[in-house]
Amino acid sequence: MVRGAGRGGRGMPGRGGMGRPPFSRPRVLMLRPPFDLILAEPAFPRCKPAPDDSALTQALLKRHTELCPTPTEQAAVLSLITKLQTVLDNLVVAPGDFAACQLEEVRQVGSYKKGTMMAGKNVADIVVIMKTLPTKEAVEGLSNKVNEELNKLMRAEGLSPVTCASHERGFTVTAAAAVRVLVTTLHQNLRKLEPEVHLDYKVISSHLAAIRHSRWFEENAHHSSIKVLIRLLRDMCARHAGLEPLTPWMIDLLAHHCIMNNPARQALPINVAFRRALSLLAGGLFLPGCAGLPDPCEAAHSRAHTALDLVAQDHAAATAQTLLRVVARGGHRYVLGLQAFEGGKDISTEITVWDGVVVSPLAPAYSDTPEPMDTDDKDEEGTQDGVAA
Amino acid sequence: MMAANNYFGFTHGGTQYGAATASAAYGGQTGYAVAPAATAATYGTQRAAATGYDTAYQAAAATQAAHAHAHAAAAAASAYDASKSAYYQQAAAAYPAAPPQPQPTYDATAKPAYSTPATYAQAAYGSVYSAPAPAASYPSQPYSAPAQPAKQTANRGTSAYDTALYNAATMYVAQQNKTGGGGGGGRSGWKNYNKSGVGAGLGRRPKPPPKAQQLHYCDVCRISCAGPQTYKEHLEGQKHKKKEAAVKLAAAGGGGGGARACGASALRCELCDVTCTGADAYAAHVRGIKHQKVVKLHTMLGKPIPSTEPVKLQPAKKTVAGAPKIAFVASGGLSTVGCSADCPPGDKEDEREDDADAEPEVQPVGQDYIEEIRGDDGKALSFNCKLCDCKFNDPNAKEMHMKGRRHRLQYKKKVQPDLEVKVKPSMHQRKLAEAKAQRMLVRDELWARRRMHDGVEEDDRVYWEGADWWRGPHHHHHHAMGMGYGPVGRRPETSDDRHVLAKHADIYPPEQQLQDIQRAVSHTEKALKSLSDALADQGKLKGQPAKVAAKVDDKKEEKPEGKEDGRDNQLFSFVGEGEAAPSGSPATPGPGTAGARALKGVMRVGLLAKGLLLRGDRDVRLVVLCHDRPTVTLLKRVAADLPHHLSRVKGSSEEPKYKVELLPAEGAVSVSDGSVNVLVSLTSAIMREPAEGGDIKRDDKDVLPRQKCLDALAALRHAKWFQARAASLQSCVIIIRIMRDLCRRIPNWTPLNPYAMELLVSGVMQSAGGALSPGEALRRVMEAAAGGLLLDHGPGLRDPCEKDLVDALGNLPPQKREDLTASAQQFLRQIAFRQIHKVLDMEPLPKVKHAAGNWKFPRKRRRSNTDQDPDTPNGDNKVVKKEDNSE
Repeated sequence: MVRGAGRGGRGMPGRGGMGRPPFSRPRVLMLRPPFDLILAEPAFPRCKPAPDDSALTQALLKRHTELCPTPTEQAAVLSLITKLQTVLDNLVVAPGDFAACQLEEVRQVGSYKKGTMMAGKNVADIVVIMKTLPTKEAVEGLSNKVNEELNKLMRAEGLSPVTCASHERGFTVTAAAAVRVLVTTLHQNLRKLEPEVHLDYKVISSHLAAIRHSRWFEENAHHSSIKVLIRLLRDMCARHAGLEPLTPWMIDLLAHHCIMNNPARQALPINVAFRRALSLLAGGLFLPGCAGLPDPCEAAHSRAHTALDLVAQDHAAATAQTLLRVVARGGHRYVLGLQAFEGGKDISTEITVWDGVVVSPLAPAYSDTPEPMDTDDKDEEGTQDGVAA
Repeated sequence: MMAANNYFGFTHGGTQYGAATASAAYGGQTGYAVAPAATAATYGTQRAAATGYDTAYQAAAATQAAHAHAHAAAAAASAYDASKSAYYQQAAAAYPAAPPQPQPTYDATAKPAYSTPATYAQAAYGSVYSAPAPAASYPSQPYSAPAQPAKQTANRGTSAYDTALYNAATMYVAQQNKTGGGGGGGRSGWKNYNKSGVGAGLGRRPKPPPKAQQLHYCDVCRISCAGPQTYKEHLEGQKHKKKEAAVKLAAAGGGGGGARACGASALRCELCDVTCTGADAYAAHVRGIKHQKVVKLHTMLGKPIPSTEPVKLQPAKKTVAGAPKIAFVASGGLSTVGCSADCPPGDKEDEREDDADAEPEVQPVGQDYIEEIRGDDGKALSFNCKLCDCKFNDPNAKEMHMKGRRHRLQYKKKVQPDLEVKVKPSMHQRKLAEAKAQRMLVRDELWARRRMHDGVEEDDRVYWEGADWWRGPHHHHHHAMGMGYGPVGRRPETSDDRHVLAKHADIYPPEQQLQDIQRAVSHTEKALKSLSDALADQGKLKGQPAKVAAKVDDKKEEKPEGKEDGRDNQLFSFVGEGEAAPSGSPATPGPGTAGARALKGVMRVGLLAKGLLLRGDRDVRLVVLCHDRPTVTLLKRVAADLPHHLSRVKGSSEEPKYKVELLPAEGAVSVSDGSVNVLVSLTSAIMREPAEGGDIKRDDKDVLPRQKCLDALAALRHAKWFQARAASLQSCVIIIRIMRDLCRRIPNWTPLNPYAMELLVSGVMQSAGGALSPGEALRRVMEAAAGGLLLDHGPGLRDPCEKDLVDALGNLPPQKREDLTASAQQFLRQIAFRQIHKVLDMEPLPKVKHAAGNWKFPRKRRRSNTDQDPDTPNGDNKVVKKEDNSE
């Protein structure tokens, strides 16, 4: 395993000048952004009157007000997170006898930080960067310490005590609201992680990414239209099975793209942006082979949607395609969730009729069974490795 | 350690200096080592004047800071130690009345060791100074040269000076001092001095007298030599040099290690020169057989046995980087000298010293990770360290383990990366090994990741994953030149491209079909021209008979040079050069305009003009522009006369039998040769003019259907638009052909009228902002349709051939739009998931073998490989050729 079969091919001198090129050789295939009507406007000038979109705009705004968290919720989260931040900050500055782990930094991330929290989901996120490696024991220890300290504060203010529950990402502090404490470690420690001793590498690095995301968001996506669209899209995605796998980060990027990425660089109206988001998803923005949305917080050329597996990509695109046609036929109230569709059924999987026009859902295109042509690849890859070794 | 050994000897020789004092003092004195050579050289003379000393010293002290960290300097200091100890006792005797002046300066440089010991005779003081200052100059090679002859001439008993470079340097220094001390007496002075000095020295403490019989003992190699000659030979020998180098190396390493080992206080058995990591280990050592043996030996030899009290190692360790020769003098008084002569060599000891760095005061770490395994009675039976994966039964062992290096390393590795764990000297190797393991790991990961996509070819991997397009072994410049459709160049051909091109090759009309069409059209055009001429002649005959003959002649002469038919897809004008074009625009024609031809020209439109013919297409269109409104009469006339002209045009060959049919409802005649149907529509530009009252009414019956004429005109404009805009776009024509095929095959797409489809495709291509490969182009068209471009709320397809805003799609009912969009959406996902063959309705193509296989073969074979493959889609050969050219 260590000496992987393909490894030997590189750096092997004197193989007739045809040695495998190094893996890092520049590759000349480029991905293309998808067709985007807003950007393609010059090629497709509008030649008929724009449809009256006020109904959609109204519906979008109405739905958004429903999605905004109530002041009570916000206050609850705020109070909890302030206390938690205090406790954690104390641990950073003066750990005292607390030896389970050393904290480097504490940062708020996620929807609370971004201002895109949704009603009914008053869970804030806070990332704790450990100087030490995040063993499960360390997380447990931190959880206990935080619980203890936080309850001291709570008692002092005469509030009901909080509870801490550890999970694989860190632990969650629950009171009236909840704060997820996500544990991560310094970047240079990442490679020292071992699956059986520490928290999962993916989890750890996703928490680091969350910090980057929050920063990017603060710097680039502070426009309130973006936040409105994010709430609407997150709500829409949550209610349609196919779109559920989209991560908040993908939605953030998508919303930012839809609102801000236009020739004028001015925020688009919410109805246009909403249609654009659906249209982009339907147009294969998040399908393989498409440039998608470049992830500004990852290394160059990384695409946001590659976190989805292929089935999910297919399913998400198909769902968005159906929803696009439903919205085009005036079914936005169902899509937005202002109106339940036939007893809570997922409209993206049902055949619907609008003014005599039948809108039907689409079959998945992705099939898991490898096609005969793929076996060729296997052989090829295999022999290649064999030869190279 | 050499220094310590030496010094040790002196200690027992009766000096009052404590070992600790001396070593601390000199250990901190590395600064002296960097005293400029000049200072050292001039020192002797300056020394004569007592004040001169001060300046020299200060200079040395000043430079000290800058170089204090140099290992060489450290080594020099220690070397100095060794020699100094031998030397300064004599010197001390030689300068019983050294000036006390330097005292304050000395204090200022913070060397308390010098000022504190009360036993430190002032007499010795000056000489002690003089020794270190020049010792600094030892690293500079030249000093060894003068040293050597000095030794020879002097032939002193203190041959310790000549053992090595350092010693040589030191000796030189000593000589300088002595010279200085002797009032600049030079060589003779040295000897004189020596005598007195030794005499004095002997009075104070037992010091080897020069003439004494001695044992030539090499402390580095632990051997004794019979005489000076053998000893010298030994010193020059390979073996000795090797050992010496090893010692030096250890010393150089030790210089750094000493500082690092701060606080580490291991215990040392002076007798055996063994370092123990802790009190327990020390006790064990003292009890041990080895130690007992040594004690026995020493007792036998009458050497002093140091107390069993362990010596705590000082942070600043001294190492000797030389091979100071210790002259054992066989006089009874010297029996105490060099007790540790047979101790293990310095390099070994260095190792152990580092070993000894395990810190007794270390805090146990990782208590949380040790779980107790309890028996049934709740008593802790054993402990299990989860970090190190080891067990112990003894709580003490647990404690020890928690302090141990291995545990700490694990803790550092798994819990707290910044934990300080004392490193072993082999750290370098370990680091190398670690780095290597790391590299392996990374590499493994890399390959594991690649293997994850085992079934997917490399470019597929990138396709799906898209992590980094610029990596990967496949697809280089080989495919760089693409399909020969221009600047796509740098892009490799993807599977989609190959499918699209294969499909395109499939639907592209065969050569025979194209020739048939070409011939029929060409004949028709020529016949129409001929007909037009005939009509014109007729008209002119009526009006101006005189001119006609000449005109006709002119034309016949022109013909061969001029355009024969509408092959270039532009308007094939029937109007000859000599013939004035109808005066004024077509907008102001009058029935009386004489000389104007009734049939002005013919143009290919539709598929033929756009080059969109597909396999099996047999119907092509020509549009004849008439001067005036085309009438049924004219159409009939054309239909009647055309066969005659056709047979004239096609010449003698009877091959195609043209059949001309009159289609008044279409406003056209159809020319058919059995396989190709050419529809010739008559129209006129003035049909677009809003009909004016009575004029129209009068003609109404006769004039061809207006809509048909307008359609024909539109077709003309579309053809022109296509040639001007769409045809020049990358991949556009290919994709439109593909889409035509799609529209023919798939019912959902049939309602999309060809012109709208062309507009859609060209718009999509145009908006791409760059060249697209065929595969990408098809996908992009699907993306546009899937994204709802054709839906009701979309912008529509603006017809560029109309002045007004006209939606080329305007007539499409909502359900059709819906179906069209749904179909495009499905297609898009199929394309994305490598099922483009389903969209194109074809068999999936096998993977390109040679693309990846190229790497297996030398270049020459690659070419033959591809050449042998007749099925390569068109363009592939081109690829290979281009590539070969470029090589």
